[in-house]
Amino acid sequence: MKNKRLKHYDKDPNSRYCGSLFKKKPVSRYARSLNAAAISVVLLAFALVSSAHGQEAAEFFRKNCTSCHWIGGGRLIGPDLKNVTSRKDRDWLVRFILDPKAMFDARDPYALKLKAEAKGVMMVKVPGINAKMANALLDLIEAESRLDSSQFAGKAAAVITYTKEDIDAGRKIFSGKTKLKNNGRACISCHTVNTSGGSLGGRLGPELTTVFTRLQGHNALTAWLSAPPTPTMRSVFQARPLEEDEIKSLVAYFESAGSETGYNYDTFIVWMSVILCGLGGSVVGMVLFSGIWGNRFRAVRRPLVKVSKLRGTS
Amino acid sequence: MNIRSQMSMVFHLDKCIGCHTCSIACKNIWTDRKGTEYMWFNNVETKPGTGYPTKWEDQTSYRGGWEMHKGKLRLKSTGRGRIIANIFHNPSLPSMDDYYEPWTYDYQNLFNAPEGDDQPTAKPISMVTGEYIDIEAGPNWDDDLGGSPVYGQNDPNLEGLTEEQKQQLFAIQRLVFFYFPRICNHCTNPACVASCPSGALYKRGEDGIVLIDQNRCRGWRSCVAACPYKKTYFNWSTGKSEKCLLCFPRVETGQAPACFHSCVGRIRYLGVVLYDAERIEEVAALPREELIDGHRSLILDPNNPLVIEEAMKAGIPESTLKAARQSPVYRFVKEWKLALPPHIEYRTLPMLFYVPPMSAVTASYDGKVVNGTSEEFFHDINDSRVPMQFLGNLFGAGYTGKIEYAMRKQKAVRWYRRALTVGDIDMETAKRILHEADCSIEEAEAIYRLTSLCTAEERFVIPPAHRETAIEALQDPMTRKQEVGFGFMSGPRRGM
Repeated sequence: MKNKRLKHYDKDPNSRYCGSLFKKKPVSRYARSLNAAAISVVLLAFALVSSAHGQEAAEFFRKNCTSCHWIGGGRLIGPDLKNVTSRKDRDWLVRFILDPKAMFDARDPYALKLKAEAKGVMMVKVPGINAKMANALLDLIEAESRLDSSQFAGKAAAVITYTKEDIDAGRKIFSGKTKLKNNGRACISCHTVNTSGGSLGGRLGPELTTVFTRLQGHNALTAWLSAPPTPTMRSVFQARPLEEDEIKSLVAYFESAGSETGYNYDTFIVWMSVILCGLGGSVVGMVLFSGIWGNRFRAVRRPLVKVSKLRGTS
Repeated sequence: MNIRSQMSMVFHLDKCIGCHTCSIACKNIWTDRKGTEYMWFNNVETKPGTGYPTKWEDQTSYRGGWEMHKGKLRLKSTGRGRIIANIFHNPSLPSMDDYYEPWTYDYQNLFNAPEGDDQPTAKPISMVTGEYIDIEAGPNWDDDLGGSPVYGQNDPNLEGLTEEQKQQLFAIQRLVFFYFPRICNHCTNPACVASCPSGALYKRGEDGIVLIDQNRCRGWRSCVAACPYKKTYFNWSTGKSEKCLLCFPRVETGQAPACFHSCVGRIRYLGVVLYDAERIEEVAALPREELIDGHRSLILDPNNPLVIEEAMKAGIPESTLKAARQSPVYRFVKEWKLALPPHIEYRTLPMLFYVPPMSAVTASYDGKVVNGTSEEFFHDINDSRVPMQFLGNLFGAGYTGKIEYAMRKQKAVRWYRRALTVGDIDMETAKRILHEADCSIEEAEAIYRLTSLCTAEERFVIPPAHRETAIEALQDPMTRKQEVGFGFMSGPRRGM
């Protein structure tokens, strides 16, 4: 019985009930020895947690940060985080991690500089972040920065040349003709790409024609797609992640889409077909209605008035 | 047999002087409200003419009444399936423009106009829009063949006339017209009732008056399209349809309807006829040439003991049967066969009958004197200026036999009376003509009496309505007595 209760406390070492519950307990001989035991168990738990804490931060970093940042691997979408704590003071970094948007909105000069370097891509607030985790992350980055090769250094892809098959596969994935293996929604539900058939597609997400250059290349885009950080994408794709080959095809497609220039015939065809279908539909509708109601009642008196006006009274 | 009684009517066109008193009497009682300005429950048309609404007899446009389809009766304008498809757009519906836009005059301008070189005028104002309008139609626009000959020449009843007859009809020296007063016919097989998707129209069981329940009418206007006589109208203000109600509040209190009461020429007769409701569908579906005989056979002899017995069984009160035995309508329609239904080819079996009018002899003018073609006192009816075919189209379903019979009999009665009172005609000749016209001396006297000397009591034989017992069919009279006055029209009830 007692053990059970203690185990329960173990799970929540920060619980404020720990103290208060004990205080309320009548102090007996047994209780005193019990208190001592409990305190030692709690301390032990704290020790375990703090070592687990580093582990947790690493896991958090892997999940939420690696889509934009490497440590020691060079710039991805966001800057390389190696030695970031020496570039800027910790207090600023914590504030920035907790709410990047507020910093951008407040026109913090350093934040704006970062934004410019990222070609306008702004860091997002990571769900579940708090001050403690932010500090833990900075600890982790400091520790990793000291290593020769961090586990988060990433690996820069060799110069890839995508084949036409890759691009076609990517187009099919984007347009939903090929289903995503983990049952994620097709990109076209929320996004448009100018070559995906004019401007047809969803309007919820941003237009993706130039996403390849916006996110600065293969590495960044690949990393971004493997764990999309924005709130909407995150909620959609966390449970149904994209497979590696799907990402490759999509990146190939986005690259080709961004590099296409000049007049887009697809758009022209789509808009012309919309207009022509509209006109054709109207004509078909009129023909149909005049067929159905062709012998409807038309004015009887008016024609007589016209005739008598023409003839006069003679 | 399923005997019912009907307040039936005869209009004696030979007596109509076209004064429109009936129209005004009706207008002042029933249709001087907002939304009803363009309605004329009673109107008087000039024939030949296009009438009101314009060319209402042209059923290829208006599609009113019934038609035979695969051996069965069906409405021309709509049907069970078609009514749903066309509920928001009835393709057979005339617009107000086909009647006329009602107007008044800007009388205030006569008083308020600033001083100027000209007399101020009262310009016409639309009673619908309130804007100034140019009047180009009215409810009797072509009255007395006035205005453009276009109207007279477009009378649908001219169908089947030879070119020569048409020419003669409108030649200025031979010009002829007669009047055609119209109210709701309170048909035995009413197309308006059959067409209503809301079930708002009904034919009263006790007297056959066709009415629109203003609480149930939803303004679909199917009745407007379905009535071949165009005697239901849409009230644009209330959004409901209205029609002639044969002044039932007057009839129920023993008075003739306003148009009957006010008739200057005393052309109108009102009386009860008994008819067999079981045979309505059978009669309405008869071939065109048998329709008039079929319609007459529907009307039963109120002196026949079998009919009386069946009528009593059907709950028709003795007072109504007594009125049926004195009915002037029964005599004109059944006994004398003088009165004929208008356009029975619409198959609604109208219960308003017309005695066809005599018309002037066809004459020629040689610059000095007018010469009649006939040397006889009354010309032969086939030489009437109004062609027999024209009357046949109007009252004979396109056939002239029944018209000729009625005309010949009318003429014979005149010969006989002339011989009797003036004496410049040989009585033997008069009797021969009577005999040829299938008319006995007693019958000729009776026709003369009811045509020329009739009193109001003879023209209008209205039975007591027995309203005091009518409530028994719907409610316990004692309950009614306790509730009436406490929520006058309907007593208070639990619930919403």
